Amino acid sequence: MADLSESDRLQQETWFQRTIRRPEIGAFVVMIVIIFALLIMSNGKAFNALGLKNNIKIISQFGIIAMGAALLMIAGEFDLSIGSMIGFAGMSMALMLKWGLPFGLGEATPFLAFIITLAMTLTLGWFIGTVVVRSGLSSFIVTLAFLFFLRGATEVGFRLINKSTQVSGLQDFKQESWFADLLGGKVFGWFYDIWFAIGQFFVDQGIDRTDQWFTLGGNLNRRGTQWVDGFDARFLWFLVISAVAYFVLSRTQLGNWIYATGDNKDAARANGVPVNRVKIGLFMFTAFCATMFAACQVFDTNTADAAKGNLMELFAIAIAVVGGTLMTGGFGSVVGVAFGAVTVGLVSNAVFFIPTIDGAWFRVFVGAILLAAVFANERIRKRITGGI
Amino acid sequence: MVQPYLKVEGLVKRFGPFTALGGVDLEVYPGEVHALLGDNGAGKSTLIKTLAGVHQPTEGQLYMEGTPVNFRSPRDASAAGIGTVYQDLALNQLMSVTRNFFMGRELKGPLGTLRMDEMNQIAHDEMLKIGIDFSDPTQAVGTMSGGQRQTLAIARAIYFGAKVLILDEPTSALGQVQQMGVLKTVKRVRARGDIAIIFITHNEIHSRLVGDRFTFLALGKVIGSGVAADISDKEMRRLMSGGAELGDLKQELAEI
Repeated sequence: MADLSESDRLQQETWFQRTIRRPEIGAFVVMIVIIFALLIMSNGKAFNALGLKNNIKIISQFGIIAMGAALLMIAGEFDLSIGSMIGFAGMSMALMLKWGLPFGLGEATPFLAFIITLAMTLTLGWFIGTVVVRSGLSSFIVTLAFLFFLRGATEVGFRLINKSTQVSGLQDFKQESWFADLLGGKVFGWFYDIWFAIGQFFVDQGIDRTDQWFTLGGNLNRRGTQWVDGFDARFLWFLVISAVAYFVLSRTQLGNWIYATGDNKDAARANGVPVNRVKIGLFMFTAFCATMFAACQVFDTNTADAAKGNLMELFAIAIAVVGGTLMTGGFGSVVGVAFGAVTVGLVSNAVFFIPTIDGAWFRVFVGAILLAAVFANERIRKRITGGI
Repeated sequence: MVQPYLKVEGLVKRFGPFTALGGVDLEVYPGEVHALLGDNGAGKSTLIKTLAGVHQPTEGQLYMEGTPVNFRSPRDASAAGIGTVYQDLALNQLMSVTRNFFMGRELKGPLGTLRMDEMNQIAHDEMLKIGIDFSDPTQAVGTMSGGQRQTLAIARAIYFGAKVLILDEPTSALGQVQQMGVLKTVKRVRARGDIAIIFITHNEIHSRLVGDRFTFLALGKVIGSGVAADISDKEMRRLMSGGAELGDLKQELAEI
């Protein structure tokens, strides 16, 4: 039978062939190379107790916004307003915490400040999405408009209410508020407890390890207590957002709709996929990710600044692409984006562990892997679609 | 006599001053292939888009199994059992066969999760029924041949309850072998006996191979119709070229 013999022409793939065809494979290889390069060049410092904490902090920051950007890109749209949304959300929370709720409604608790800010950013995300789908304009230009608009509004808002474009010296809300602690505090303290317990074990056995990986020596403050006592809470949020994004994209109906919307929205619409609702929802999701980024920052450092989040939208898109997301939509992987966040995060921090290098190499590197990733993704797309 | 699944009576469709369809009558019966033929601009596309709910008729009435129906949207038409397989097939290349098969109508478990194994099985079985044993429904549609994609789109329309299957030039833009594959698929669907097929084509040979009943359109009007046995090849050729005699054309060409 003609059709049967035709499908036979398709090679049965081995496990290995299937693996190298996965969208995240390129990002995975690059990540492993970077991890080992950094390990060797920094003499292990990048992954000692403090190094790991600092690296994971920046990886999580990148990861949170890259997830939003990636899901939106898979649905075929861009959001250039992520960075300005971070600044806007940070301003909104900090001003409420410092000057109280709007319209003289009294003191703001961290929870109220967050919820009111989230309501505003989600509304903005909804509005941006609605403008994009209703006008049919390119999301590139619509969100570019919001990049300027929101950044400007943030600065104006700061000056009007606060007289200065930064807020500093807020009280340390995470001391009293469990909610602020959830966003700006420490998580996974047990990890370092185990880490140092292993180090203590070596010391007790008389095996003196001086490479400061496990020993307490390098990680004691003057009072003799360990001072790396957990990861930043944003690590938890990065994991939560990634897990939800992975689940939604690969296991749910909504995930199928996201892929379908980005691949060919007319085909999706003809089959009853609510294309516009999917896109608007994802613009709201990027706004949510930007708000989480800002909230973690505000409650961690107790400061805010009108310039926060600058250029972050471009890093988010770059990481999404490095993670295997197609610029044209319809294809991408959450796992790959997580790998991309690790890669870019590690490299952006590398200067702190390898003092001899010029920090500007970071952007050279990001540019280079971005270009490489675009070509690699195009190859993968061609392999999947059989060279069309 | 069997009642037609779909009956079109005096269908008129005007776009402003332009009359795309000037009173079309059509009857399609279950278990039959109704070949709809006509040249470019004859009104074939407008007719199927009206049947599929994309356009609303200016005048005239549609009946499904004897009941008058009005389709305000493609969704209405598909709920009433009209499955349209357009030329572009409404498939997504980068997505798997299964994800395409269930696009927009996924089988859901708790929390909106996909029942992937079940869906893979159904996609495989439904395509097997009409002639393709596609061993791996998790592979991307982009790797399938044009004929296989056509089969996927047809299987999908049938699975989601199409009683009237509209195929918009399913054999165009395909190679010879794949064209035959699609015709076989059409025959298999016909053999089920419970589905009426409207087969739109330019190709006289293909329509002859599978058609039970013919309707010829030219300039928005039906210029001829009948069952296969009643229409001679010569008559068919005349009607396909919009009613002009081939002899006349020969003469016109000779005059240039």
